[in-house]
Amino acid sequence: MEDNGDVTMTAEDDGQEEEEVTAQSVLLAIEEAWLNEKFAPEILPHRSDLVDCMLQQITHMEENMKRLDKEDLRLMIHRMELDRIKYVITNYLRARLEKIEKYTIHILSQEATRSSEECYLTVAELQFAKEFLANIEMLFKTIALQHMPGNFQTFEVDTLTVKPNLQAYVFLRANDRINGIIVPGSMDEEIDLEPGSQHIIQYSAVADLVKSGAVKLI
Amino acid sequence: MDPCEVEFLSEKELVSIVPNFSFDTIHLISGSVGPFRAGLPVKVPIWLAVNLKQQQKCRIINQDWMDADSLNEAKEEEKLSKLFTKMPSNHYMEEAQLLLNVASDDISDADRIKTAIKDIWDIRMSKLRTSIDAFLKSEGLHAKLDHLTAMEINSVRPLLPHALDQMLRIQTGGRATQSHYSGTSQ
Repeated sequence: MEDNGDVTMTAEDDGQEEEEVTAQSVLLAIEEAWLNEKFAPEILPHRSDLVDCMLQQITHMEENMKRLDKEDLRLMIHRMELDRIKYVITNYLRARLEKIEKYTIHILSQEATRSSEECYLTVAELQFAKEFLANIEMLFKTIALQHMPGNFQTFEVDTLTVKPNLQAYVFLRANDRINGIIVPGSMDEEIDLEPGSQHIIQYSAVADLVKSGAVKLI
Repeated sequence: MDPCEVEFLSEKELVSIVPNFSFDTIHLISGSVGPFRAGLPVKVPIWLAVNLKQQQKCRIINQDWMDADSLNEAKEEEKLSKLFTKMPSNHYMEEAQLLLNVASDDISDADRIKTAIKDIWDIRMSKLRTSIDAFLKSEGLHAKLDHLTAMEINSVRPLLPHALDQMLRIQTGGRATQSHYSGTSQ
C-alpha cells in the first residue's frame, strides 16, 4: 500500500524533454481537462496520456487494495477516492463522446486534415466517430432515402453537418499572464489577462489558449 | 454544470479534523493524508472529513473563516463595496453547506454562521444580477469576473452566456440582412 503518491510517469514536453510527473499532478491535469472539455463548445485535443496513466494508477491501487483486510480503514478511504477519480474520468470521456455524436461530420472532416501527431481524437474515438456516421447513413437510407424519388436519394453530408458555435461565451480563469487578446466583435479592443483573474469572453478569442493550457474554463 | 458537480469540486478543499483514532499516513492518489493521532488536529480533504464524521471517527474543526463575527464584517464590507469583495474561499457556499450539514454539533454558533453566509450570498447574487443587467444593456463583449466564486458563476451559467450568444446572433443576423439589403438596393 506504500508509495502510491510517488508513482511517476513520464510525459513529453514541447521541447521533447522528459519531465517527471506525480500521480497527484496527473489527477489535477485530468480535472482541468474535464472542465475544459465540459465547457468548450468544440472538441479539444485528446488527453489519453493522462487518462491512461490514471487508469494504470487505479488498477495498481485496486491490486493493492485486495491485500488489505476487510476491516481496514484504508480500504474504505481508497475506495471513495477511486470512485471520485473514476467519476471525473468517465464524465470527461462522456463529454467527448457527446460532442462526437453531435458534430460527427464536422469533427471527422477536421480530423482528416490533421497529421497523426496532432489529431484531436484517440484511435478508439476516431473509430467510434466513423462507425457512428456509417450507422446514421445506413439508418437514413433504410428508413427514408430509399423510398424517395431518385434525385433525393443521396445522403447529403454537407447539409447534415452540425458545427459547434465557436462564438459561444465561456467563463475562464487565466493560468498565465497573457497580453493583448483582441476582443472579437469590437473594433480593436484588447485585454490583458492577469494570472488567476476570471473573465467571460467569446470562446473563439481564447480557443488556442485553452488548448495550450494558458487559461482554463470554469 | 450541475450544482452537485460544483459541490464535488469543493470537496477537494482541506479542512482540519481531530480524529479519535490513530493511524499512519495514508497514500492517496491525490496526495497523502495523515498521520492520524487521536486528539491531534490534521488536515484532510472535505470528502474524507465528512465521511469520517459520519462514522463518528472525528470531530471537524471549523474553517478559520467560518466565524460568525468575521463573516458579519465581510457582509458589511460586501454591502458597502460596489465591486465584489474577495471571499475567503472559492467555494464558501458549498463548504459551509457541507460542513454545517454534517457537523453542526462541532461548530459553535452554527445558526449565526448560516445566517451570515446566506446574507452574503443574497447580497452578492443581487449585485450579480444588477451587474449582468448593466453589462447586457451596455452590449459589452467581455467582462472581468474577479472574486466571483465557483457556485456564483455556475448559478448564472445558463443565463448569461446564453443571453450573450443570442445577442450576438441577433447582431450578426441584423448585419447580414443590412448588407444584403444595401447590396440589392444598389
